[in-house]
Amino acid sequence: MINRLLNFSAQVRNTKLASAVRNTFTLLFPIMLLGGFAETIKFVFLNKNGYMSQMFGIYQWFPYDKEIGWVMGVIFHCTIDMIALYAAFGIAYYTAKEYQKEGAIAGVVGLLAYLIVSFQPLGGGIPNFSHFLMSEGMLFALVVGYFSSRLTISFEDSQIDDHLKIILPIFIVMLLAALLNLASLSLLRLEIPTYVASFVVKHTQFNALLYVLGMGVLTNILSWMAVGGPFSGSPTFTDTASMGNMNAALKTGNSWNVPYKYTDTTLFHSFANFGGSGVMIALIIAILIFSKKKRTRDVSHWSIFPAIFNNHYAMMLGIPVLFNPVFLVPFIIVPLFNMIVAAIFISLHWIPIAAYPVPLGTPGPLIAFIGTNGNWLTLILGAFLLVIDVLVYWPFVKLSDRISQKAGEINEN
Amino acid sequence: MAVVLIFVSLGWSHQNVNDLSKLRNSKLSPVIMIPGSSATENRFDTLVKKLNKNNRNPHSLIKIQVSTEGKLHFTGQLKKGDTEPVFVVGFANNHDGYDNIKKQAKWFNLAFKAITKQYNFNNFKAIGHSNGGLIYTAFLENYYSQYADQITIKQLMTIGSPYNFNEKSVQHKTQMLSDFIQNRSKIPKNLSVYFVAGTETYNSDGLVPLGSVMAGKYIYQGQVKHFTTISVSGSDAQHSDLPQNDQIIDLINRYILDPKKLPQNQQGAISMDGQ
Repeated sequence: MINRLLNFSAQVRNTKLASAVRNTFTLLFPIMLLGGFAETIKFVFLNKNGYMSQMFGIYQWFPYDKEIGWVMGVIFHCTIDMIALYAAFGIAYYTAKEYQKEGAIAGVVGLLAYLIVSFQPLGGGIPNFSHFLMSEGMLFALVVGYFSSRLTISFEDSQIDDHLKIILPIFIVMLLAALLNLASLSLLRLEIPTYVASFVVKHTQFNALLYVLGMGVLTNILSWMAVGGPFSGSPTFTDTASMGNMNAALKTGNSWNVPYKYTDTTLFHSFANFGGSGVMIALIIAILIFSKKKRTRDVSHWSIFPAIFNNHYAMMLGIPVLFNPVFLVPFIIVPLFNMIVAAIFISLHWIPIAAYPVPLGTPGPLIAFIGTNGNWLTLILGAFLLVIDVLVYWPFVKLSDRISQKAGEINEN
Repeated sequence: MAVVLIFVSLGWSHQNVNDLSKLRNSKLSPVIMIPGSSATENRFDTLVKKLNKNNRNPHSLIKIQVSTEGKLHFTGQLKKGDTEPVFVVGFANNHDGYDNIKKQAKWFNLAFKAITKQYNFNNFKAIGHSNGGLIYTAFLENYYSQYADQITIKQLMTIGSPYNFNEKSVQHKTQMLSDFIQNRSKIPKNLSVYFVAGTETYNSDGLVPLGSVMAGKYIYQGQVKHFTTISVSGSDAQHSDLPQNDQIIDLINRYILDPKKLPQNQQGAISMDGQ
């Protein structure tokens, strides 16, 4: 049974599409790794609200912090913040390559298609693109890029005039992409995160708990599929529930009795997002301890620095975790487990609620520690959860090693 | 290393909570807006956008929709450092008519109570467009007294509010206007009130007769500290355009909002908000 599953996974791994996706991730990995470094340096070390910046007052004494922050910001915005653009090019290029066709043309067509899809003329005539689609819409980019590429390839095989072979697919892709753009305009206006916060405010504690757990699972599934979910990003501490909690905590001088105990901030961001989605830092530790595959270990080594500050892009692309069926299960189970345990501790009044604001990029278990204004049991719980999380990831790391070994064997035959 | 971070974090956390407790005492002074009939809590989006244009400390926009069962749905967030957020209270049932205005005043009271609990403030400014002004009047006469000790209403601006519905002349008082006049003594005395009327023709903004707007003086004039009437004409003076009329936005900036701090010399160098 396990063997069949192994064989099946290995075969899926060797299909054209999977191979093109994997090649795209390989292309993206170094770019996004450095982008992740830049993002971490800017937002955690140099930005006034960043963790390291706050802890060590870096923004006050560090020379040229603004200039360095600017440089890092530019790098971040042009890499991770536009990740989907690279993905659209990559998938289109490598799909063409898989079919033994000219990659550059298909790549450019894919790029063009995605630029058109995400164009949103908001500011006075300057090219302006949907931030959501650019930074969190990698799945869409892969789909758009893949189909653009397939279309371009199919024309290359046809019998029509040589000029038309290129012009016609580009024309069709342009038109379809523009129509997609029109359709997406109305869809992207939803303010999901604030809606989540207001749901929590409106409903009973138990309903809110189920809702937060559900939304947490949804966020991780979407994140595994390279789409931004309802809880993506850092907690803002300015939504109604957080404001209410913070006000109550400041009023009474502690955070034991706050009105909204189970929210995305108190559970998801405080306990289920160490190192980014899917408790990524636990996967890194698990790989470094248990994996024998050199490439995986290298990627994990490189990803430690950003992941400490909850930046997970490098791991998502490098391992890759994205679309990887092996890691889907722990990627969902681990954060869910953390949230449930934390909720139990909260409901039993063993720990206070994380109600105070936490700086950007605070490392894993320290989030809830700062959020509760230094409750030691909360810190110990966080560390304990992290250990369990590593153990949960362990068998999946082993499985992943075996599958890539198997896939290698099939390829060789 | 980890131990160092833990203790640095602990120290920072204590310091931060200390600062926040201090900050909690520096209170907000929000602007609370009510749209007119058939309009939703999104009615003032353009107005707020225009107010925030070239503003270094933009106003947050927090919207509340009250369902017919009195449940509240919040959207939007308070921006860090903003002491003058804009709240807009809209109603799922936003129909016209005196009976509905009474209901809406009751619903507004629920939203107002929630805002006072969630956010800390001891004064606020009020703006009502069209029926929103009537809802405010009903609120001030019937509900405000329970807050009056803690929370001061500083200014009220009603924009094109038909105090006598569609009646041009005060000879014919509607039931609502009679009720408002009868209970006027409950309106706080230290309030400054601004009536803004749009005039597309000489006696109407295309929907509400000027006489109906001005009939409101029998409620407020002599009861409140300052009472000013202003009529605007020109482009965007039609009833529905009033909330985005540039002259009215100017009036709001001048009379309703807190005076702005003088802008500091902007440095041309670097300011980037990547968040």
